Amino acid sequence: MGEVLIKAEGVSKKFAKDLKKSLYYGVLDLISGVTGREQVRDLRNDEFWAVRDLNFEVRRGECLGLIGHNGAGKSTLLKMLNGLISPDEGTITMKGKIGALIELGAGFNPILTGRENIYNNAAVIGFNKEEIDANLENIITFSELEEFIDMPVKNYSSGMKVRLGFAIAAQMQPDILLIDEVLAVGDLGFVLKCFKKIDQLLPNTALIFVSHSMPMVARICNQIVLMDHGKVEYQGFDVPVGIGFYYNKFTNSENSILFDDGSLELTSFKLNLDDKNTIKRGEDLKFELNLKTKNNFLKIIPSIYLEFRDKEQRPVAGAIIKDIKREFTGDTLKFSISIRNIQFSLGVYSTDLTIGNFETKEPILRINNFASFQVESKTQMWVPIELDAEYTIEHYKP
Amino acid sequence: METRVYSNSNKYSIKDILWSSIKGYKSSFYLAKQLAKRDVKAQYRQSVLGVFWALVPVLMSAFVWILLQMSGAIQLSSTTIPYPLFVLIGTTVWSIFGECLTMSITTVNANIGIITKINFEKEALITLGFLKLMFNLLIKFALIVVFMLYFQVVPTTSLLFFIPLLLITMLFFISIGILITPLGVLYGDISRLIPVGLQLLMYVTPVLYMMPKEGFLKTIMSLNPLTYFIIDLRNSLTGMPIEHWTFWLGTLCVTLLLSILAMIVYRVSMPIITERMSS
Repeated sequence: MGEVLIKAEGVSKKFAKDLKKSLYYGVLDLISGVTGREQVRDLRNDEFWAVRDLNFEVRRGECLGLIGHNGAGKSTLLKMLNGLISPDEGTITMKGKIGALIELGAGFNPILTGRENIYNNAAVIGFNKEEIDANLENIITFSELEEFIDMPVKNYSSGMKVRLGFAIAAQMQPDILLIDEVLAVGDLGFVLKCFKKIDQLLPNTALIFVSHSMPMVARICNQIVLMDHGKVEYQGFDVPVGIGFYYNKFTNSENSILFDDGSLELTSFKLNLDDKNTIKRGEDLKFELNLKTKNNFLKIIPSIYLEFRDKEQRPVAGAIIKDIKREFTGDTLKFSISIRNIQFSLGVYSTDLTIGNFETKEPILRINNFASFQVESKTQMWVPIELDAEYTIEHYKP
Repeated sequence: METRVYSNSNKYSIKDILWSSIKGYKSSFYLAKQLAKRDVKAQYRQSVLGVFWALVPVLMSAFVWILLQMSGAIQLSSTTIPYPLFVLIGTTVWSIFGECLTMSITTVNANIGIITKINFEKEALITLGFLKLMFNLLIKFALIVVFMLYFQVVPTTSLLFFIPLLLITMLFFISIGILITPLGVLYGDISRLIPVGLQLLMYVTPVLYMMPKEGFLKTIMSLNPLTYFIIDLRNSLTGMPIEHWTFWLGTLCVTLLLSILAMIVYRVSMPIITERMSS
């Protein structure tokens, strides 16, 4: 186990919602700051806790994933860790050289060339002249911008700016690295390159990683802090559980009708779920759909397509319900569908429904996210489908 | 390994703060130089006339007054040195007052983008402002040298005092500027007030005309400390004796105190400013 490099104890931070009040409180804080008087600890009128009572430690070689919805307090926490603002309560202890990949390219001047901006940005994040000179070629090579390095930065795309910013920051050998959702605009090749660099740095670094991309979090983090409105909702070393909590926050029961030609209506549906909306992995998932015609235009019983999406909204599986061609005479239809032996891994899944014309395949009714359910499983996996494997293991003695 | 502890404690010892402030100035000098280079380059890259623009405001106001005086529209008591030079030096020195006063507010505001995003020694911004100020100053004094050569005004040994006196003056105004920076960054009122106030003050300071021998204006001018700054700076430059030694001694003491206070206030208030300005 490496030594503890980042330690947060009871860290809290408050903000005012109103600008005028915020400025006024700023003046009060200035006065008490300069005169060294005790500051007001409680919430003043119109203030709220942006971060409330956070405790964690990160050791060298560890990575803490900081997740939560927009406005949960992640960036505020990062700013405190980076020493930009001080906590209103609690203590943060940081050991060693801090590198921050937050707002890459801050201090870039649009009129100056990429090369000139390397010197500026590197100086801002704490390099001296010799270090920059020594690393200039590495930076340019890493950014893959050789061709455009003497072009003004204002002609760069946002992706190119991030490349340049990351290339500069990556030359640091920090003990602590803070990364805030900065890789989102790079192309896949560059993101992979960045991850390779992060992997290289990780053994000697305590890393805090803020992202909304759970695959990335799952890939590098071994500890999760899930924040909600400044408070910790989940904290621990069980990364899939933390990510699961994160996804559950966004379980969206709202369905959306994408298409409706007006001839058919979904009157009711039922799934064989328990009261917690859960089904066990390996059970059969049963749907019961009740449909009603609205204008008797439909002459043939339609076909149904069910598509399952995982929490990332990736389509992972589908089922086609199509019988032989049959005439439709009444005005109601009842579909009973059974999906056998559900192999989904633990997590939340949503179902999209498409009802189509039997012959022409033209859609009649499409409802996205018409039903969602949770799968319970003993094992936790990052992938959405856990395949049943049969195996024998033979053990040879050499 | 360097350990940093961030907490809410606002108890500080003046010695520690001063020490860390001095260390901040020292360690951030390269950064400041780099940023100054950036700003100067960027300022002139998209311009054809370049440094000429640094001279325009001073030249224009000097020109207006020279014209007024020559046309006889206003009657001014005659000056000991040629009037155009008198006005040019006056307005240049006056512009230095204003620039020093607003320097730190302007620099902090212009760099709010990096202040709220990157942790660096904020003292770099003061050095940055100072370097840019000196750059502009050199251009302006080059112009004065040209005028002095043209009017054949020969400086005497009192020129030796010009640079120390100018430095005291600059330090004095920069310190005051830094002391009002925390409030000035939070509320825009202050940076709006300064130019207006300075314009008003200019007319009760012997910038464009000599101090009258008697009358109401003389009383006000002799009460106005800015008068002594202007008179002696101009005298030292144009080969005249320095008149107010005790004033300068007093100013030196006050300036030293102010600058120490400014270092402390700046260091303590920057995190609070960062917090309120970050978005």
